[in-house]
Amino acid sequence: MTKVVGAARRINWAGQAPLITLLVLCIVTSLLTSRFLSPINLTNIFVQSSIMAVIAVGMTFVIIGGGFDLSVGSTVALSGCIAAMAMLKFGIFAGVVSGIAAGAAVGLANGLIVAALKVNPFIATLGSMVLVRGVVYIITGGAPVSGDDGLPGAFVAFGNARLFGIHYLVWVPLVLLIVLSVVMQLTPYGRRVYATGGNREAAYLSGVAVERVIASTYVWCGALAGVAGVMLAARLQSGQPTAGEFYELTAIAAVVLGGASLYGGEGTLYKSVIGVFIMIVLGNGLNLLNVDSYWQRVAVGAVVIAAAAADRLRSRA
Amino acid sequence: MSKARLPLLAAALLLPAALLSFAPVTRAEDKITIGVSLPQDDNPFYIGMLKGIRARAGELGFDVATVSSNEDKLKQINGVQDLIAKGVKGILISPIDAVGVNAAYDAAAAAKIPIISLGRGSTSPNQTIHVAMDEVQVGRDIAEWTAKKLNGKGKVAMLLGPSGAPTFRNLAQGYTETMAKYPDIQIVFKTDGPLTRERGLKNSEDALVANPDLKAIYAANDDLALGAMQAVLAASKQGQTLVTGMNGVPPALHAVKDGNIAMTVELNPVLWGRLGVDVLASYLKGDKVEQKVFIKHVVIDSSNVDEELAKMAPPKS
Repeated sequence: MTKVVGAARRINWAGQAPLITLLVLCIVTSLLTSRFLSPINLTNIFVQSSIMAVIAVGMTFVIIGGGFDLSVGSTVALSGCIAAMAMLKFGIFAGVVSGIAAGAAVGLANGLIVAALKVNPFIATLGSMVLVRGVVYIITGGAPVSGDDGLPGAFVAFGNARLFGIHYLVWVPLVLLIVLSVVMQLTPYGRRVYATGGNREAAYLSGVAVERVIASTYVWCGALAGVAGVMLAARLQSGQPTAGEFYELTAIAAVVLGGASLYGGEGTLYKSVIGVFIMIVLGNGLNLLNVDSYWQRVAVGAVVIAAAAADRLRSRA
Repeated sequence: MSKARLPLLAAALLLPAALLSFAPVTRAEDKITIGVSLPQDDNPFYIGMLKGIRARAGELGFDVATVSSNEDKLKQINGVQDLIAKGVKGILISPIDAVGVNAAYDAAAAAKIPIISLGRGSTSPNQTIHVAMDEVQVGRDIAEWTAKKLNGKGKVAMLLGPSGAPTFRNLAQGYTETMAKYPDIQIVFKTDGPLTRERGLKNSEDALVANPDLKAIYAANDDLALGAMQAVLAASKQGQTLVTGMNGVPPALHAVKDGNIAMTVELNPVLWGRLGVDVLASYLKGDKVEQKVFIKHVVIDSSNVDEELAKMAPPKS
């Protein structure tokens, strides 16, 4: 008995707050509706979380580095449309690569503007959010991109098919999460990102090329938004110039729900993904419970505010 | 620091739960529930449509579960998945895009439940039924009305919609084939392009300069008609050149009342919603239903515009 208590005490409960929140949310929802734990609904939750999870992982890089990226929603649309256009002309591989490259290019531009020109990240990425959306409308003429006969069948299937019983869309964040967690936790580069976000001055004085590190976090964020854009294009069976609106807000909310600090230096990739699950399960549960859409907005907004308040109080303590 | 955080995250979770207890949550597992997914929950057209759906479903003893998507295609797909997981018996959807949300139709087909499009349609082979406007017939009605006013004689200009958009092609087809029955009516001017007031104005100016004796301008929608109206007023041809519109938006109805637009066609979203429920109900009963069902439309001119405006004035809930 004492052993159990001792073990329970050794676990860092507060560090697991996102997971506990998610579990409580799942338990409450499953008590309210038996449909919640049905296999089809659980599959839905994973598929619905997949694209946002990729964006949130990228956003976590930027937020750990002490920055902020409002442009990811527009980048998702840009990458999806460029991928669709390139795919129709040059094939699936070229489409996927150019979509992700477009995202990375937006990230690099953001990174240079923030790190080299020292523009406040909020303003810099607010600007690129609007600018990139404009570019998307220009290159597509505002119309969805799906060609005369639709996007290639194999690509559309990627948005719906499974491998070993798990949707391809779910494999992407799973693999990315594992690889990038290793990068963040076990490599000197990862430590430099945490150090720069935690205390830029101290990191600089101990020899970290802080500008380069900060710029790199935006490249990650842009490239991952690019990956998400390609996934979304597969899911929507087309490149959609209006796609991704307000995704930046959901991603930032998820990262903060996952325990990252908006002051930088803190955050864990997998916990941000848990944050995404919290947002998705909340929306899914409210839908299953037949809650009016106006009330859903109130509930989601309240969760975001509560998470931000928790972040604020924690950093003060 | 860690202690302060746990209760806060608990609060983050409990807040929406508390809000939920106020929200109207309807649950009755034994009743038939139908799912509804509309593109927006803050657009008067779709608010009207939902009102019609709820009213008719109430009369038939169905429960209604709604999900909102706010023009976000992925959110619409996710919402439809949630409806399916919830166990609805059929889905009424107004797809945001003809291709982009096809995954929602696939999901419904996989769950073997009917999915019926209201208004906008989908290219998906899994679309069970499309409750649509009879575009060709609307075009015929506008032409018939115009020909009568002109006593079967005179020059007519046509401002078509965007080239390639099937709706506007069908409207124009109905109009043109009807006008062909009147040997003394000539279509002397025809352009296609965006559905904006600006274009309506510019094109009509040109048409009036080229044909000072122009008797009527066909505008493919009300915005074009409002632009055409400005050109007619500027040329002091009010009463000599009739302008016809399509849609029945409030500014156009006011223009009909003022005599500046001669007629428009109203598509009543409330009736559209009611018809959708009726079609779904017949399908669920096993009755044979056509793949395409048409919604009634109403010609609005000076004879009945007051009635229509009175209906819109204060929305009684």
